[in-house]
Amino acid sequence: MNATPATELAARWADSLRTAVYPVAPAWLENLRENATAAFAEAGLPHRKVEAWRYTPLKRLEALAPGLAPVADAPSPVDFAPALCKKATVVDLPDGNLESIPADLPEGVSVLSMSEALVRFEDRVRSLAESVPVDGPARAFAAINTANLHRGAVVHVAEGVDAGSLLLRFAAEGSASDLLSSRVMVLLDAGARLTLIEQHRGASPAALNLLLQPQLAENARLAHLRVQDRDDEAFLLTATHAVQAAGSHYAFCGFDLGGGLLRHELNTTLNGEEAHAELAGAWVLDGQRHCDIRVAVDHAAPNCSSEQFFRGVLGGRSRGVFNGRALIREGADGSSVRQSNANLLLSRLAEMDTKPELEIYADEVEASHGATVGQLDETAVFYLRTRGLPEAEARRLLTAAFCQGVTSRVDDAALAETVAQMIDAAMPGAM
Amino acid sequence: MLEIKNLHANVAGKPILKGLNLSIGAGEVHAIMGPNGAGKSTLGNVIAGRDGYEVTAGEVLYNGKDILGLEPDERACEGIFLAFQYPVEIPGVNNTYFLRAALNAQRKYRGEPELDSMQFLKLVREKLKILHIDDDLMHRAVNEGFSGGEKKRNEIFQMAVLEPSLAILDETDSGLDIDALRLVAEGVNRQRSAERSIIVVTHYQRLLDYIVPDFVHVLAGGRIVASGGADLAEKLEAQGYAWLERGGIGKLDVEIRA
Repeated sequence: MNATPATELAARWADSLRTAVYPVAPAWLENLRENATAAFAEAGLPHRKVEAWRYTPLKRLEALAPGLAPVADAPSPVDFAPALCKKATVVDLPDGNLESIPADLPEGVSVLSMSEALVRFEDRVRSLAESVPVDGPARAFAAINTANLHRGAVVHVAEGVDAGSLLLRFAAEGSASDLLSSRVMVLLDAGARLTLIEQHRGASPAALNLLLQPQLAENARLAHLRVQDRDDEAFLLTATHAVQAAGSHYAFCGFDLGGGLLRHELNTTLNGEEAHAELAGAWVLDGQRHCDIRVAVDHAAPNCSSEQFFRGVLGGRSRGVFNGRALIREGADGSSVRQSNANLLLSRLAEMDTKPELEIYADEVEASHGATVGQLDETAVFYLRTRGLPEAEARRLLTAAFCQGVTSRVDDAALAETVAQMIDAAMPGAM
Repeated sequence: MLEIKNLHANVAGKPILKGLNLSIGAGEVHAIMGPNGAGKSTLGNVIAGRDGYEVTAGEVLYNGKDILGLEPDERACEGIFLAFQYPVEIPGVNNTYFLRAALNAQRKYRGEPELDSMQFLKLVREKLKILHIDDDLMHRAVNEGFSGGEKKRNEIFQMAVLEPSLAILDETDSGLDIDALRLVAEGVNRQRSAERSIIVVTHYQRLLDYIVPDFVHVLAGGRIVASGGADLAEKLEAQGYAWLERGGIGKLDVEIRA
């Protein structure tokens, strides 16, 4: 193989993973890390011929050539004001790792470091850790994450407990060009309820490789809100792999408002009957931002429903990619799948690639999908202007309205207002 | 109040208005009638400043000011209101929010203090009451899922809140049944005043039974070819527009402007 920047970087990372020293861990974890290291060393980084990465070349990451181990240097503190949600319990994960456990956790709610979780919830941590596929170049970052598994946190909510809101703040603080792996597991016991807010902010050049694994036991309910307005230089390689038991309900609502290169893989597997997933998100891109959102829902049990509702706003020379997949397995009868992705291009140089994929192997399935890329309706712009609204305001109002199907899913009024302001701030200026 | 002199305008490079003259005084209601394709809607769009309507000659003076160089929103702030033939549905934009933003944009332009939500709500309640409109309208997205009648009533309601000095009603009667037509016309009539001029653009005379104009003009071939009082509309209704093509203008006892 020729020594391209990508293969050189991959070789360097593989070496770094082989020689990394971790705290004492159970044998299964050491094996898992070794196997993941070997898988990565064999497959290398994704390239243009890997279908799942076709639209997201990693050139910019290669140019940065980050190291895998966090280098201690002067942190640049991240300002999280205004608070996204005042009533939420704050859990800080600077550069993806839990530093201290919040004191005011409600009864039945635990937030643990990965090493504590390996003691208290070893079996569950193990089964989740082992469930992540790491083979092939498309899964390179999952492999690195698993090979590196020691930083992150585990959240646990006991049976029947309504945990209220937890705000996980991922501050990008390091000034070194690292690729920082972080693993967060969210374990909801039967009937548990949680609102999880995941917030990313910061100007650090470090790239975050976050793998978040919500596990919903029977009848558990998780509302997962993700808000990120990282700086233009930021790299975010994030994945959310949820697993849902019977009767569980997972609502994801993501707002990707920043970052230079962003890739988010959002998967959920509906393993039990009457499990429901409502996945929604909006991205607002400007400048040279690149945002690649891949959603996959696996209907593995009958009578489940899933919705994918995503909206994109693209200005400048930004590029967006959306891939929405739904797989309905044999026997998953009575499944209902809805998919919708619409995009607004506010600039002639912006580009959006969108692809819905439905794979159905069951009978009695209700499925719908739609994907569009368009521009603002100039008649609507004129209509608003004839009522006195200046052009820029008319366009902003219509653009915000375009995302309304996503923003309206945020129940908490104060939180919705803050998110609306952040969306407004992220709107492409030059239209 | 409004002086249109020798107005020529193209749409997509094609001449539509070809030397239109029209003079409207304060408080007057003028009806503009004419066959399809005569340029009726073009006139409204040109006055409101829509993109793609290119003025090639002539001028439009509003209160002595040439408005052709103004943006559509500036014209609105100067007091010009266009009620659309097909009001636009805007999903995701709440009617109350939109209307308050519009009113405050206009007040800001005129150097007046903006209304807070309490003051605005009070104003809206007052106007809803006058127009007998259910306040359910204010909680919905702008025109989304509205029936034809509701859309037109929403236009008239917006007009009541924005209080323009010149309102152009573009085919406000189209798509309305007789009851809806009567309601919309009543809404317009309540807003007639000595300070407010109204241009009613319509294909049919029916609307003018309810909004009785001071003047009626016939627009054909891009120009006003006949003007008269309210009775002109009745003659047109009886004889149709075909007489224009037959050169039968002389049969009508009206002043001819060319």
